[in-house]
Amino acid sequence: MNIIWIMVLLLSCIVSILYNPGLAVIAMTQGANDAVKLSISLVAIYGLWLGMLNIMDKLGVSQKIAWILQPIIKFLFGKDISEESKKYVSLNISANFLGLGNAATPMGISAVQSMGAQRKTASTNMIMLTVISATSLQLLPTTVIGMRINHNSSDPTSFLLPSIIATVVSTFVGVLLVKILSKIFKEKPI
Amino acid sequence: MQFTVYIIPALFIFILCLSIVKKQNAYLSFVEGAGQALNLMFKVFPYLLAVMIAVEVFRQTGISAKIANFVSPAFNFIGIPPQLTELILIRPLSGAGAMAILDNIYATYGTDTYIGKAASLIYGSSETIFYVATIYFSQSKVKNLRYAIPVAIIATIIGVIVGCWILKVW
Repeated sequence: MNIIWIMVLLLSCIVSILYNPGLAVIAMTQGANDAVKLSISLVAIYGLWLGMLNIMDKLGVSQKIAWILQPIIKFLFGKDISEESKKYVSLNISANFLGLGNAATPMGISAVQSMGAQRKTASTNMIMLTVISATSLQLLPTTVIGMRINHNSSDPTSFLLPSIIATVVSTFVGVLLVKILSKIFKEKPI
Repeated sequence: MQFTVYIIPALFIFILCLSIVKKQNAYLSFVEGAGQALNLMFKVFPYLLAVMIAVEVFRQTGISAKIANFVSPAFNFIGIPPQLTELILIRPLSGAGAMAILDNIYATYGTDTYIGKAASLIYGSSETIFYVATIYFSQSKVKNLRYAIPVAIIATIIGVIVGCWILKVW
């Protein structure tokens, strides 16, 4: 992440100095501004879902969801996954599946923590979780449909089926690659 | 489209009724859980800021467009229209940035052309991979994600290629 970040910034600043020296600061400030705006709306979304999640936890509902998703979790993450991780992972997967990507985020963070917050390198299960979330099955891309409606599309959902096939393919390929690579590169102890 | 609209309220009704049956204080549980939101954002915010600053300057200086021009012949070869390369480059980095590009594509090519539909597919079927990876690990000490990001990117691109092919014969 460090190298990517430095390269992106370095390249941008060099280009900016050559062509348009004022632009770099303006663009960066705008990026920072967007980050603040995004985080305020994220606090709202996290608050809503963490609140609901806590009710579900206290009632034992989240444990039930984990139990229902048991076969999928077992296939993806193997047997050495703690009950706590199982719970967060299954909530993360169900939220992603429902198109609630932002509600899935706090559960993803908790899942990574429960898999070993002291580790320096990601475990295979952490990688699996990241890949599943990053290629997540989205059944209903509401943002895109809304934008198409705004642009007077004659059929706003016409791309939907190929799009769903694309996300299924990407999740399938992602899981397959993690399964293969975890056999080739052995897990690091810490 | 109707299906998911019902799930969330139905889930809430179920949870609230269950809390009455089980005589649990749902209100206090909610407040306790929601209280973690600010703490969480305190930890996540600097990562968010770092990523979004870099992406914005990357986009506004026109580097992403230049890189897009450079790699578009390769994308064209595998069946992705060259007009969509910048969208594919920015999508894993920033949702807001990709949205601006998508908006631009709709305005230029229309929503119902092949390019408009393929752009919808690219945005709709993929995620902000770097954001997910950064935020998920923001509260752990993990600094080395090993092959997580390359796998996610390769898988997404394969999905998009397949999607674009299907869209063509649709």
